[in-house]
Amino acid sequence: MKTPREILLARHKAIEPKLDDVREHVVGKLNDKDTKTQSSSERLLSLFLSCPKVVWNELVLPSRRIWAGLAVVWLVLLAANFSMRDRSEIKMAKSPPSPEMIMAFRQQQQLLSELIGQDNAPVARPQKPFSPKPASERRLELLMT
Amino acid sequence: MAESEQVPVRQAREGNPAAWDALFRRYQLPLFVYVFELVHHEQTSLDIVQETFIAAVRHITGLRDDEKFASWLFGIAHQKCLLHWRKRGGKEILLDELPDAPDESPDAPDDVLIRSEQEAEFMNAINQLPLPHRSVVLLHYIEDFSLEEIARVTETQIGTVKSRLHYAKKSLRKILEAKNENAP
Repeated sequence: MKTPREILLARHKAIEPKLDDVREHVVGKLNDKDTKTQSSSERLLSLFLSCPKVVWNELVLPSRRIWAGLAVVWLVLLAANFSMRDRSEIKMAKSPPSPEMIMAFRQQQQLLSELIGQDNAPVARPQKPFSPKPASERRLELLMT
Repeated sequence: MAESEQVPVRQAREGNPAAWDALFRRYQLPLFVYVFELVHHEQTSLDIVQETFIAAVRHITGLRDDEKFASWLFGIAHQKCLLHWRKRGGKEILLDELPDAPDESPDAPDDVLIRSEQEAEFMNAINQLPLPHRSVVLLHYIEDFSLEEIARVTETQIGTVKSRLHYAKKSLRKILEAKNENAP
């Protein structure tokens, strides 16, 4: 009679030489000078460098289809956005303004200038009506006034 | 209990290669058995054991309690197995909700004794279990982990572990009894 543990371990006893190799390999690395004398800053650096790998393995890889789908959606959105912007720019550049538009623009400009003219124009003295006279008469007028 | 054994974790923390050698020597076979019975591929299992050892050396500072070294080490191996399944495109292992297990403490693994002619049947029965049940029952049999320790290894609730262990043992018993009845 055997316990489940005895049965399970006995079934895999033959793998022990290979496991010894694995163990020796890992412990052998520990004995390397580089690993042994790794300073805290080096450990931090290695941790920092291993971060992308961890993120890749834990976050990206398990749901890679979802990420790929999202990437495709973004690419489609970007492409649609660019193509629509290009078209509207081309339209703006190519199409000449219609006569109605020019008319409306002129009307608006006129209205604007009238409005500005009424409100902001300085109050000017009304000019005397010009009447052509000989110079001698003009001199006489000046003396009279 | 596996956790209370005197293992040189403190020396290992200090980077003592001899301490690591002793630790790995103690756990290499149980760890391999656990991984192999989950992935069923020798080379993959050896690779996972090696990766587990390397990760243990690298991240020993993350272990808060030296007494929990064994469950911590098996936890790393468990995560590597999950990663292996995901890499192979395996779907998440989901189980139907099982009713709560009766409120009783699990039997000690040594309480179950199997006759030599039943060994193959016992292994077949283990392999017939769904993966989460198999994982729990293996941890219970191989290292005699407590429910809390198994929950830590598999990152599940204690209640879930209890339920899985109860139903796994029940299924094993049923399979073995059925074989006995069918035997001439």
